[in-house]
Amino acid sequence: MRYALQRIGQLLVVFVVVTFAVLVAMRLGAGGHRELARRMLGGNVTDQQVDEAVRRYHLDSNYLVQYLYWLKGFVTFDLGYSSANSMSVAKLLAPRFWTTALLGIYAIAVGLLLAVPAAVIQAHRRDSWIDRLGNVASFIGFGVPAIVLGIFLQLAFSLHWHLFPAIGDSIYPWQQFGAHVRNFLLPTLTLAIPQAAIYTRLLRADMVATLQRDFVVLASAKGMPTRRILWRHALRNSLLSIVTSVGTSLGGLLGGAVVVETLFDLDGIGSQMVISVLSRDLFTVQACVAFVVFIVVVVNLVVDLSYSLIDPRVRMARALA
Amino acid sequence: MTRPRPLQTAGRPAEGPLIELTDVRTHFATERGLVRAVDGVTLTIQRGRAVGLVGESGSGKTVLSRSIMGLLPRRGVVRSGSIRFEGTELIDAPRSTLRSLWGREMAMVFQDPMTSLNPLMRVGEQIAEPLRIHLGQSRAEARDTTIRLLTEVRIPSPAERLRQYPYELSGGMRQRVMIAIALACGPTALLADEPTTALDVTVQAQILALLSEERRERNMTLVLVTHDLGVVARHTDEVAVMYGGKVVERAPTAALFRRTRMPYTEALMRSIPTVDDPPHTRLAAIPGRPPDLVEPPPGCRFAARCAYARERCHAEEPSLVASSDDPDHHYACWYPVGTVEPVALRPADPAAVG
Amino acid sequence: MTVLRRLRRAGGWFAATWLVALVGLAVTAPWLPFVRAADEKVRVGGKLQSRYRLGPGRHALFGVDNSGFDIFARCIHYARNSLLVGVSATVIGLLVGGALGVAAGYFRGWVDRIVSVVIDCILSIPALVLAIVLVSRLDDIRQELPGLGWVTRRWQVVAALSLLAVAPLARIVRAQTLALREREFVLAARSLGATSRRVIATEILPNLVPTMVTVASTGLGLLIAAEGTLAFLGVGLGESWGYLIEANRRRLDKAWWATVFPCLMLFVTVMAFNLLGDRLSRRFDVREVIT
Ligand SMILES: Nc1ncnc2c1ncn2[C@@H]1O[C@H](COP(=O)(O)OP(=O)(O)OP(=O)(O)O)[C@@H](O)[C@H]1O
Ligand SMILES: [Mg+2]
Repeated sequence: MRYALQRIGQLLVVFVVVTFAVLVAMRLGAGGHRELARRMLGGNVTDQQVDEAVRRYHLDSNYLVQYLYWLKGFVTFDLGYSSANSMSVAKLLAPRFWTTALLGIYAIAVGLLLAVPAAVIQAHRRDSWIDRLGNVASFIGFGVPAIVLGIFLQLAFSLHWHLFPAIGDSIYPWQQFGAHVRNFLLPTLTLAIPQAAIYTRLLRADMVATLQRDFVVLASAKGMPTRRILWRHALRNSLLSIVTSVGTSLGGLLGGAVVVETLFDLDGIGSQMVISVLSRDLFTVQACVAFVVFIVVVVNLVVDLSYSLIDPRVRMARALA
Repeated sequence: MTRPRPLQTAGRPAEGPLIELTDVRTHFATERGLVRAVDGVTLTIQRGRAVGLVGESGSGKTVLSRSIMGLLPRRGVVRSGSIRFEGTELIDAPRSTLRSLWGREMAMVFQDPMTSLNPLMRVGEQIAEPLRIHLGQSRAEARDTTIRLLTEVRIPSPAERLRQYPYELSGGMRQRVMIAIALACGPTALLADEPTTALDVTVQAQILALLSEERRERNMTLVLVTHDLGVVARHTDEVAVMYGGKVVERAPTAALFRRTRMPYTEALMRSIPTVDDPPHTRLAAIPGRPPDLVEPPPGCRFAARCAYARERCHAEEPSLVASSDDPDHHYACWYPVGTVEPVALRPADPAAVG
Repeated sequence: MTVLRRLRRAGGWFAATWLVALVGLAVTAPWLPFVRAADEKVRVGGKLQSRYRLGPGRHALFGVDNSGFDIFARCIHYARNSLLVGVSATVIGLLVGGALGVAAGYFRGWVDRIVSVVIDCILSIPALVLAIVLVSRLDDIRQELPGLGWVTRRWQVVAALSLLAVAPLARIVRAQTLALREREFVLAARSLGATSRRVIATEILPNLVPTMVTVASTGLGLLIAAEGTLAFLGVGLGESWGYLIEANRRRLDKAWWATVFPCLMLFVTVMAFNLLGDRLSRRFDVREVIT
């Protein structure tokens, strides 16, 4: 429990420091607070509107005060006003959130689906041709830039085989399931392949070490079938490294989401962020970045806390601490 | 406490050879060259007997016992000779044959109970696993059997232990769990590789007593690996002494202690702790160091450290022969203990002494 | 075993050859007779080959784009930006990240605490998101603050990518320094009264070089990929492979070459740096992986 609180504290510090830095970066450089308000509202605005914005977002105070009001807004989903879309940022981002969240979840799921069997087989048949093939594949998957991978997938699956649309549409599963799958498949693959490569590398290394441990040899000596030894005994003990790799590679995943959403024309947080950056929509950019950092922080916390679910010893040690 | 009847002991022939080793060699390919960890062992283990496998650290006891089980790394191992278990050749047997024997016919207890249990699996499940898979027991049956097994290895309040994880148990308890796992399917042979070295002295005696008792009740064959001749004296019927990957002396336990022939065995005996020693005294180790297993010396492998060694010992390798007065007593030595006077050791490697 | 080793060696050679050739071509492009200028339109028999009229072939190795520019020529000329930006950012990352890492690992205490928090913060923002925001904000800030006229888009991209390089390098260097400062030879030097500066310069830094070089090599690949991605998103440089991809990708069905060749350039170059990093990590026995 103490450990959990400590970890939450650390991550909270990171979140606050980062979002504060983003706020300052966003608002830095404007001549005065009225000028700033004008820029944040964008377009032609009346003096009255400017006054109201200054009052509402406390733009005439120092950055710290502005930040505290921003933070208050963030927790109450009052994320400001999107100048480019003339609507509230919360309203703009809400549907886009689902696109990005679904993409992320699919990518992690598909990545694991590819990586876990690959890593287990590679570790089991270490140095065989299949292991080498796996190593080469994950080396390429790790290095290939998302744009390149996405373009190649479009080339193969949409233009050559006409299987999936290259230009997607953010259709949600609760709207039209078939169309959803067709639209999300290539983006998901583009995100999942590099993830799978990272997971495979880490899990394979961990499994190779686990397979040499005494208790795995004992499981053989008990006459357990190979499948059971690999999946029940060894994999379970390597779960930590999977969870860790999902956590540490999340930043890359979210960065990839920016590219993939743009490349496949999906309306997500990532593509919206790029559009807002280009149209100088300050509120929206700030909200997008804060949101992404929030996800990173939360997932890292979940990863950390899940260690104790996986390993009873950690559970015990923390109960005692 | 009344002890439950042991499982699965009926219907086995009581006599005759169980494990027959002929010129068994297990070599490891390493960067330094071929490590001849086991280098030509011939040995027959009779049913229902307790056989001690003794020798210094590095003499190849673990490798030999794992060779018998077939539990060696898949890569970089060169094996030859013949290992027959109940008449079945194991040395080139497919893994499926071995797997059908493991747990059911031969089981093993490892040296370190701290690392040998799966840290993330409840103790009960680790014992029940072979019962369910090999004997096809239902969940409830397996649970009952597990509790009986835990009672048998004298673990208090067994029903509660089932739900515990290994880290919640002491070393002695874990080794008892290991034994329970090994006994679960009523194996014909149990190979215990230094089952007590990792434990406290008092616990050691209990574990060994438990193993002996189980062996007698189940009419099981026990191969007890140890470097402690004291243990051998109390718990075995026969002994094979290993040195540098070879068996150098082999005899019924009583005969070995009555009339030690091999100078190496004699030296080992001198290192048995006596009751008078304060606990944790360092044993009088044999001066010198074990032979290089990549390029073993040409003659007797022990010659360099032997107080009786003569010219011949350095040049010609003695083979394992039966003693003239006792056909059960075999030794590999040109000048057995009592036939020549000891000479001063060559000051080969003073640093290794003491 | 030998097959694998040979393959790996072949990979290393391939990477080195590709990189040497690419650098050579990029630098000498203006003087090479077979490379058109980046803004010279392709004409065959005096006729302008615009609207993707020409596929890959004799007149234009990689085909032409919508305006009739030579894709091959642009790929070669634009390689300059990728390499220049990548190398500059890596050098800055090595210097700043190295300095921060050594300081944090060697002096520990509050220096370490501050550096660690800063690293954690930077790493909590997805690298690409950080780069996008940074480059675009620098655009505005440059215009608003006086005296920054000399800053070009290229320097903004370098600045953003440097920040991406600093954090992981600082983290790895810090960890290594922490380990090194407890090693015998460092303890010996310190007990003999050597100053911190001397210990760092003579004992710590030389031991950090293999790791830093290895990480920097793979990192260079990642940074070049990031440069291409920024350009692709419209936040980076116009004269970039990424921009070529963005400009032509919607005509993938009609003129695959205009997209695919820039993709291949980016892909092979990134892979070459990764291969180099892989070779180096085996050579120096460096285990750290950057993700
Ligand atoms: N996988 C392996 N690869 C290379 N050499 C090995 C391997 N396993 C064992 N050896 C070598 O074989 C020799 C015999 O080892 P073994 O473990 O059988 O000794 P031991 O008699 O069991 O000793 P101890 O009392 O220390 O357990 C040692 O020199 C060891 O280094
Ligand atoms: Mg051993």
